[in-house]
Amino acid sequence: MRRDSGRGCWVKHSRTSSLCIGIFLSAFLIPTVHAQDAPYLARILESVRQQRLHEDPYWHVLVHYRKTCSGVESVIDDPKFFLATDGKTNPEAELEATVRAFFDPVDDENDSAVCRFAARYEWIKERTGLDPGRLPVPQCRSFLEFMDRIRPESVTLVFPMAHLNSPASMYGHTLLAVGTANGSKLLAYSVSYSAFTRETFGPSFAVKSMVGLYPGYFSVLPYYAKLQEYSDVDHRDIWEYRLNLTEPEIRRMMLHIRELDMIASDYYFFDENCSYLLFFLLEAARPGVRLSDRVHGWLIPLDSIRMIEDQGMVTGAFYRPSRTTKIKWLASGLSDALQEKALGLAAGDAREDPFESGETTDQEKIRTYDLGSEYLQYLYTRGEVPAETYQARLMKILQARSRLGVSEGDIAGQVPVPAEPTAGHHSNRFAVGAGFHGDEVFEEIRIRPAYHHLMDNDDGYIRGAQLIFADAALRYYSSDRKLVVEELDLIDITSLTPRDRFFHPVSWKIRTGFTRIRGEDLRGHPVYQVNPGGGIALDTGSAGLAYVMFETGLLIGGVLENDYAVGAGGSAGFMQSITGMWKVHCSVRDLYYGPWDGFNDLEAALRQSFFLGPDRSISVDVARRLMRGYYRTEAKVLWNLFF
Amino acid sequence: MRKVVAAFIVVGFIAASATVCLASQSNTGCGLGSIIFKGQEALLFQVLAVTTNGTSGNQTFGISSGTLNCSQPSKIVGNERLNNYVADNMDNLANDIARGQGEYLNTLAVLMEVPEASRGDFYSRLQNNFTQIYTSPDVKSGDVLRNIESLM
Repeated sequence: MRRDSGRGCWVKHSRTSSLCIGIFLSAFLIPTVHAQDAPYLARILESVRQQRLHEDPYWHVLVHYRKTCSGVESVIDDPKFFLATDGKTNPEAELEATVRAFFDPVDDENDSAVCRFAARYEWIKERTGLDPGRLPVPQCRSFLEFMDRIRPESVTLVFPMAHLNSPASMYGHTLLAVGTANGSKLLAYSVSYSAFTRETFGPSFAVKSMVGLYPGYFSVLPYYAKLQEYSDVDHRDIWEYRLNLTEPEIRRMMLHIRELDMIASDYYFFDENCSYLLFFLLEAARPGVRLSDRVHGWLIPLDSIRMIEDQGMVTGAFYRPSRTTKIKWLASGLSDALQEKALGLAAGDAREDPFESGETTDQEKIRTYDLGSEYLQYLYTRGEVPAETYQARLMKILQARSRLGVSEGDIAGQVPVPAEPTAGHHSNRFAVGAGFHGDEVFEEIRIRPAYHHLMDNDDGYIRGAQLIFADAALRYYSSDRKLVVEELDLIDITSLTPRDRFFHPVSWKIRTGFTRIRGEDLRGHPVYQVNPGGGIALDTGSAGLAYVMFETGLLIGGVLENDYAVGAGGSAGFMQSITGMWKVHCSVRDLYYGPWDGFNDLEAALRQSFFLGPDRSISVDVARRLMRGYYRTEAKVLWNLFF
Repeated sequence: MRKVVAAFIVVGFIAASATVCLASQSNTGCGLGSIIFKGQEALLFQVLAVTTNGTSGNQTFGISSGTLNCSQPSKIVGNERLNNYVADNMDNLANDIARGQGEYLNTLAVLMEVPEASRGDFYSRLQNNFTQIYTSPDVKSGDVLRNIESLM
């Protein structure tokens, strides 16, 4: 709301000036309607007014009007999208200007309002009985040819999951794939909304994308190009959700995409993002669907899929493993020796038949060659192999592979399908519980808007990846009836990605926010902390995911001498899901702080979660902590609700 | 001190906002390995993930992903979609042809209008003649398509 009113002011200001220019220009530029068409135009306008079409919800969908305190305002920021000078805030004026524009003669058909506002045209024609034969441009031929060429038949909502080792990308992205008559998924067209920029400086990019300083555009590309980007280069598994749009609905959607071609709307990271803009397309496709007006504050792409499901539009989910996932699956079925062979092939083992003994079966050889070629392609996309070497090695592997016949089933079809993302827990978490710290009893309430904690249920998420925004904990100590803010984690990201023969990722963490440091005083004092770390993780099998990390810390707060302290140290631990319902995390962490009043912060902790379904869990934490010379034990039980 | 805190909050958000809702697109060449390229990133860069953010170029209604300059075999010069498909998917198609199955091979059959009934034969013929199709490591997409045609 704050931003809305802010932009409202800006619009008002610019409208007065553009109104003057508009009046001035209109005297010269707006072409006059042919004499014989004028009465017909008047009749159509009369019909529009009589039906009060400017109040029709579908008109508000097509122009993307959103309610503000003083009326409505379109979310679209590009002046090209409006035909009336005050079209951004005046639905009636915009509708009349649109009808008039259909009657304007033009030199190039593609510049006509009939082509530029294809969805508006179809709708107005349908509602008023407008006779196309009486317009200078009766139909948009280029659009009809385009539709005839691609013949869209189905629409799929596409959700690429997180990057390998980059939990921040868990937040995700959604796009649409429009399937064509030939039925091949690869030949579908992807429709995606993203920020347009040549900015390469990270910090300014991040800040600008949050405050809407970049224009966002839709782009339409072959789906296979998107798959290369997500599956082959970024290593993100993809979920495809088939939507039940009918052909007339798909046609309306395509008309609206045509309308939004090269139209800018300011990109906002939190709400007016890729997922939000896709809502527009679905609303245009199926009148009556309500999605965008249900967004308040922020929209997480995964939640947008749930909202679309709630509208009854999703009919099925299909999993598409990334190259990394395929490599892991191929390796999992081979002995250590054959995995080494595959590594050798990718590293350029040039022997005609690298399998010495006759004990390797053909199916094992096939799998070894497939692993070798996939891994070589992985190395290439990371820039670890030069192009000529890559081509020569790939050719060698594939030549040998082609002599071995077919494997038992296609690789992509055999990778086990993990839990589907929308079946996982919701992203908001509310927790309530109690515990003791030292010898004092407390009650605790926590609230967190996003997204996934290491100790949450991993179903639908990525194991070892944590992304937390704004996790706040309030504590009430019964003894003195005092309520304190125990913690406020602004960002808490952890990536524990296991290393193996094929992948050598660096595990890392970054945590920043307010916490408490304690000494003699049991309540402690609030400080602001920044705590990054890096290390390695291994999948030990039965003992779970084990990790070691080097960590540093910066504390800022009045309680510290000279207001700050810097620390260094490390942490280690292991984490395991013992059953599908029970997860355990054992950890030790020690940081030594200086330089003014040196002190140790040492903690040993056992954290457990018990899952009572996707959206409920109980966590039981016990920790022994030494800080500024005082040992204390803390234990607490929390009941967690995800919503 | 307030400034310091503000600076850290900003840094925190950068880490979180990286790689979201953004796209990259670059594609060069007509041979194997002409796929989007991403160099190895330092740890910090993985956190910031800045290099490939944002769409570059104004290809709103792109039909191919940048292989328009690849030469086209004369016989099927009219089938622009097939040419683009082979040029754009050289590596994945080579995988599938060597394996005798897969989605990229199925799509090739769709574009070449191979009847469903004879696709099995088509796939094994391509697999058995892999070396006739991919004649050298730096083979170009136009040659690949011409060689496939000659096997039909």
